[in-house]
Amino acid sequence: MNKPATVAVTGLTVRHRRTVALDALDLSLSRGVHGLLGPNGAGKTSLIRVLATVAAPASGRVELLGEDVASPRERTGIRRRLGYLPQEFGYYPAFTVREFVAYVAWLKEVPANRAPAAVERAVERVGLADRIDARMKTLSGGMVRRAGIAQAIVNEPELLLLDEPTAGLDPEQRVDFRALLRELGKEATVAVSTHLVEDVAAACTDVALIEAGRLAFRGTTAELAALGGESADPGDTTTNAIERGYTAALRAHRERSGSGAARAKEALR
Amino acid sequence: MTSPRPAADWHVTDALALRYAEGTAPETDAWSLEKHVESCSPCAGRVSAAVRAGAAGPALASVRAELLASVGHRPAPVTTVAHPLGRWARLWWAAGPALRGSWVVAVALVLGGAFGLAYGAGFQGARSWLLALSPVLPLGGVAVSYGRHADPLYEITAATPSGGLRLLLTRTAAVLAVCVPLLTVGGALLPPVAGFPGAAAWLLPGLALILATLALGSFVGCRAAAATLAGGWLLAVTGPLLAPATADPDSAAALVRYFSGPVAQGSWAAAALACAALLVLRRRSFDHLETR
Repeated sequence: MNKPATVAVTGLTVRHRRTVALDALDLSLSRGVHGLLGPNGAGKTSLIRVLATVAAPASGRVELLGEDVASPRERTGIRRRLGYLPQEFGYYPAFTVREFVAYVAWLKEVPANRAPAAVERAVERVGLADRIDARMKTLSGGMVRRAGIAQAIVNEPELLLLDEPTAGLDPEQRVDFRALLRELGKEATVAVSTHLVEDVAAACTDVALIEAGRLAFRGTTAELAALGGESADPGDTTTNAIERGYTAALRAHRERSGSGAARAKEALR
Repeated sequence: MTSPRPAADWHVTDALALRYAEGTAPETDAWSLEKHVESCSPCAGRVSAAVRAGAAGPALASVRAELLASVGHRPAPVTTVAHPLGRWARLWWAAGPALRGSWVVAVALVLGGAFGLAYGAGFQGARSWLLALSPVLPLGGVAVSYGRHADPLYEITAATPSGGLRLLLTRTAAVLAVCVPLLTVGGALLPPVAGFPGAAAWLLPGLALILATLALGSFVGCRAAAATLAGGWLLAVTGPLLAPATADPDSAAALVRYFSGPVAQGSWAAAALACAALLVLRRRSFDHLETR
């Protein structure tokens, strides 16, 4: 990878009250689509929220798009170039999809003369163009999620953070969404947190596997698949290979850090 | 090739999906697949994709297009006519989320209650009650429109450049734009109480309280700040308000002292200025990173 890093995280530690969500994590991302994989509670959402400039790290340095998150002035600059889809988000039920996305465009300081076109383009890219003037409260769960993706991309962000974006989408929408991800990844740094291995197989150029607040694996999707070894079944798919690689990487990481994690748990008590 | 009874974790492989799309899959495998995709959406998606990519794809696409056209579904218009997202729409976005239904109802109830008391029950003190309650009503509006506990969009706004003080001030302005005319005109229409200041007397105390809420909110959050200041104000006015009912009717003078005269109003103005200055110093604290 010789592209410049747009996300540079060193020694990132995040605590929730007394539990450690992320433990001295080092990670750098560049342009392309990156999958953040890991079991539930591994720290994926904590990482995304720090990268979205919503949550503060307990310690460590976070540089996004060449600017430091800790400085208020640079943080404002980052936020203009950022897109963020939270895992769970609310909306104003009386707003239409257009108003919802336009409201976020206004918050992101998209110039007023460009905003209407940017809103329509974002809504069209997520396949909601025919419901653009429908009220948010009339949408199904999958449509709300797609409206959420539209608000995240309305300012054509250079850094796009998506937390479980495929939750609630049906298979056809997922296929469309992965195509959109690949397209977005050509211009921007896209980090997608997911627990669906097929999302990674179809859309991500590389993978960061997080387990118990630490990086368990970092490499390309093909490298993760190779970790799983050869399958005896000739009808095997890429998804299966990545699933095996995922399990193998997790197991290896747990063996390596088993004693360390036990000590950390002792210390917390 | 016959496949055994599919296990619980059996899924359609890409190779099988391809054979199925070509029509070359053995019949038993095709049955298993068809039974399986009824209940497994990832596999259904995989098979649909394989079929669309196969020889039947163009035919399927044209059938779909014709079907959609016959039921009146047209592809989204590509024309990008500028929607009337003009100045009024922007004002509505800024104000809309701020004016929460429950709060508007509360303001209307207070106002309606004052009118009901004054003209329905012939209660003479209605105007002083409204005047005493007016300064805390905007605080409620701010408390229910901004922050993690009140704003459903909070998680998204927290990652935007305008989600901090700018958004808070727009919403406060929207709250005041509703409160100020409503409460001032409402107060003026109530029967005057002898020796009591005019309906506009609450404006400076109200402004001072709301600025104090924002300034205190920069430390403890808007909800806690609004609750503290509203509680303090209500404690301060309850005594004088309840006194006339029990003792002589002229002891409302204590309430008058809060509003009337250049000293009182001057003090409120000074307090408002001090809070505004503190807010300017603390302006960065609203787009802080959340630490928990």
